[in-house]
Amino acid sequence: MTLPLLDLVKTRTVLLDGAMGTELMARGLPQGTAPEAWNVERPGVVKEIHGEYFASGADVVSTNSFGGNALKLAGHGFGGRTYELNLAAARLAREIAPAGRYVAGSMGPTGKFLKPQGEFTEEDFAAAYAEQARGLTDGGADVLLVETQYDLREALAAVRGVRSVSSLPVFVTMTFNSVPRGYFTLMGDSVARSAAELEKEGVGAVGANCTLNSEQMVGCVRTLRASTALPIIAQANAGQPVIGQDGRVGYSQGLEDYVRFVPEIVRAGAGLVGGCCGTNPAFIRAMAQIFKKERS
Amino acid sequence: MNKDELLRSMNEAIVAGNKAAAAALGAEAVRSGADLLEVIEKGYVPGLQRVGELWEQGEYFLPELISSAEAMKAAMAVLKPELDRKNIEARRGGKVVIGTVEGDIHDIGKNLVASMLQAGGFEVYDLGADVKLERFIEKAEAVGAGIICLSALLTTTMTNQKRLIGLLHEKGLRDKYKVLVGGAPASHKWADEIGADGYAENAVAAVKLVRTMTGGD
Repeated sequence: MTLPLLDLVKTRTVLLDGAMGTELMARGLPQGTAPEAWNVERPGVVKEIHGEYFASGADVVSTNSFGGNALKLAGHGFGGRTYELNLAAARLAREIAPAGRYVAGSMGPTGKFLKPQGEFTEEDFAAAYAEQARGLTDGGADVLLVETQYDLREALAAVRGVRSVSSLPVFVTMTFNSVPRGYFTLMGDSVARSAAELEKEGVGAVGANCTLNSEQMVGCVRTLRASTALPIIAQANAGQPVIGQDGRVGYSQGLEDYVRFVPEIVRAGAGLVGGCCGTNPAFIRAMAQIFKKERS
Repeated sequence: MNKDELLRSMNEAIVAGNKAAAAALGAEAVRSGADLLEVIEKGYVPGLQRVGELWEQGEYFLPELISSAEAMKAAMAVLKPELDRKNIEARRGGKVVIGTVEGDIHDIGKNLVASMLQAGGFEVYDLGADVKLERFIEKAEAVGAGIICLSALLTTTMTNQKRLIGLLHEKGLRDKYKVLVGGAPASHKWADEIGADGYAENAVAAVKLVRTMTGGD
């Protein structure tokens, strides 16, 4: 029987996957299309990407459901298909997952604001995430990953929404910016406060993803480690987007520079490590080799 | 309240993001026959500048910026009819067309920039998100804007910022507009590479940049 993910992380560093959206675009997802639509329209493509990440050595892949909460999908006219698209997302990852590997149900932000900055209440957000969590849970996810959160209040609402419909472990990653006083979300939530509140809410792991590159992530993980005893997730961006000679968009931090900081991220205290924007299966393969070497 | 107290209270109302106080102080200025342009320039505007500094220092975040911008707008809503009635032209920052490029539905950053520009005295035409590139140009032409601000959050849609500049060239309108770009994946380097006129990392920097572009302070 497969060890629960939260038990595995006690024994070794767990490898997560990298970016999904750019992989879909590279395979022809048209601009402006909800990536989640391909869980139903082009399931083979989504599976192929998950398969590449597993083949690269990822212990866990994140489902193609980052924008799959009911509020975000409503922006694409798919609000009524939230359950269906998330169910399909989790099923696809489950189907291609080798024995002993894991599926994390990806749950990105709504892109909306709570009152007073916006027009939504915490109950609205909780409901939007709950509907998504229902689909991901029924589709066979092992854990639910509420990710890229820039507002602690939204993250907490998401956790409560998930809890109302699912008994799966919930992981949360916040997106922190590096400002002169340290690491803060867009809304001004500090690392310490985020970790404390999420821990109180009973999440299984907390972490940081997006925005920071792998070098900046080291410091952020250190701050997280000082703030919580929970397992820590780290998924850094590969630097800043840049336009290449061929007119295509690439990322400023090349693979070698990116993975150079991965051992430091682990030493700083991260137990679940993967990539974010600008990373791909090659990054995950390189990270898998590092972890393998460190274990032997 | 003497003039100094009034100006200081206005400054404080903006820094605190206190909409009701900002509006009430504006009403008091009108009632007492104060020089309204002076009230704006020496009372409210320095408050907004202070908010920008606090943001840059990492003391203020998005909620504080929004509250302060709202307070500024509330004050201007009180002062504007009075200025109009007296035929006084408040210092105008110029006209700006702003939106998130087509294919991209992210609008948090763009909304914040629009709000801060408006609070900073610019006439802002916010086209929303997922805006067809032609619409930016049509709107700028229609209202006589000098600046076009393009937001993109995705690496896949940021190329539309480049496309808009190409479109302006095609139409022979490139020199007529300053094109500024922003959004998480954008950078100074990116702006240079695509031939944009400027890049701002955040809403506070955006207001400064637009001010420089329009020949302000």
